[in-house]
Amino acid sequence: MADATFRSQSHPVVAHAEWLAARREFLRKEKEFTRRRDELSAARRALPWEEVTKPYVFDGASGRRTLAELFDGCSQLIVYHFMFAPDWEAGCKSCSFWADSFNGIPLHLRHRDVSLVAISRAPLAKLQAYAKRMGWSFPWYSSQGSTFNFDLNVSFTPEEQAAGEAFYNYEKRRIPTSDLVGISVFARDDAGKVFHTYSAYARGVDMMNGAYHYLDLTPKGRDEDTQPGNPQAWVRRHDEY
Amino acid sequence: MATLNTSSGAKPHAVVSHAEWTEARRRLLVKEKEFTRLRDQLNEQRRALPWERVEKAYAFDAPSGKATLADLFDGRKQLVVWHFMFGADWQQGCSHCSFWADGWNGVVEHLKHRDTTLIAISQAPLAKIEAFRKRMGWTFKWVSAANTDFNFDFQASARPEELKAGRVLYNYETVEPFSDQMHGCSAFYRDGDGAIYHTYSTYARGVDTLNVAFQFLDLTALGRDEDWSQPHPSGWVRHRDRYER
Repeated sequence: MADATFRSQSHPVVAHAEWLAARREFLRKEKEFTRRRDELSAARRALPWEEVTKPYVFDGASGRRTLAELFDGCSQLIVYHFMFAPDWEAGCKSCSFWADSFNGIPLHLRHRDVSLVAISRAPLAKLQAYAKRMGWSFPWYSSQGSTFNFDLNVSFTPEEQAAGEAFYNYEKRRIPTSDLVGISVFARDDAGKVFHTYSAYARGVDMMNGAYHYLDLTPKGRDEDTQPGNPQAWVRRHDEY
Repeated sequence: MATLNTSSGAKPHAVVSHAEWTEARRRLLVKEKEFTRLRDQLNEQRRALPWERVEKAYAFDAPSGKATLADLFDGRKQLVVWHFMFGADWQQGCSHCSFWADGWNGVVEHLKHRDTTLIAISQAPLAKIEAFRKRMGWTFKWVSAANTDFNFDFQASARPEELKAGRVLYNYETVEPFSDQMHGCSAFYRDGDGAIYHTYSTYARGVDTLNVAFQFLDLTALGRDEDWSQPHPSGWVRHRDRYER
């Protein structure tokens, strides 16, 4: 038995043949899970779309851009709703954790017809300064002055904040802050029409964190039970550890 | 109706009102939450798997000189190894492993703060590894298993006789080797006495969730847009600096 110090009980240690037998049995479950996941992805793709008719305009590095222009020649757009309110001095640390794992992939996604961008309410100058500090290169737009963040249910009006309740993750719920996380997906057809195809919120963005998938393979896992109600207490911006 | 242009042709897609959209989305959300719970359960079952002790003394070539498996933990309790396909006579690392690495290169610092060191190990000599790592701009630690049995013991490389016989153990079964190098991801744990345990390894499509780009693609209308009835469904993947535009 090993001294698994992170738990009160110790952990079974077995011979290779036994290890292999247990691993093989678990592999069957993993394969089942993979198939369930493929089915879920297919069901997601079968969801109906809604047309986006509001003329949103965003501030980006090369000027004012419409939602259609954020596609940057691709027929699909993924927006990471990065929590960064106009009066915040830095972007959310948990969103920064997510961004560290997607900063390296936009070029690959381009070759699957996808433009990946982040959008926040903070003014462009703040976004650019923060991206520089964190060493990120993904496109990041400010939605300041537009209703985009509110329409996509990731920012909340002063009235909603005062009430402490708003529509988030497809239900009315308690909101702890002015901005919350989400990921939205849009498609554009040949005629230039833009459609909202999907949005995920709350734990729905869990799969898009590149670090958790690795931690999930380890004995300690995410190991986030230390602070009740604040599982991500350990997360810092990568230059603040 | 709208039109979706996939690699295999244009497909019509339903367009509805906001109320209908939300209703359909809510129905999927129920399934998504079920899936999240299923994933939590699966992760719990994975952590309950028994461990095996690692007794062999591996000596890897690292930038700082020879390194034991224990050294690779870098003072932490957990080690995760990406088995990066890069054979001794290859000119560069595998383009697909590189696609994965473009995602995980950014999370190494965070994992350190969960007591976990994430590194890559390959069969290629260290000089080739170092040159390639520099070309790709990655900062993770990457050591060579040349002159050790490590890659053969962990189903990451096939021996010449296995290639000749066309039979090798991979993903826990005997298969025809698709290359002399095979991708995977292994986890190790080191206890207070310094004993090292092999806790987990995954191969083949088992590394799918470890590719963050695929998780984003799975949210889109086109999905991965890879036709698995064709010989090279992921043939679109290139090294990041080798795409044409």
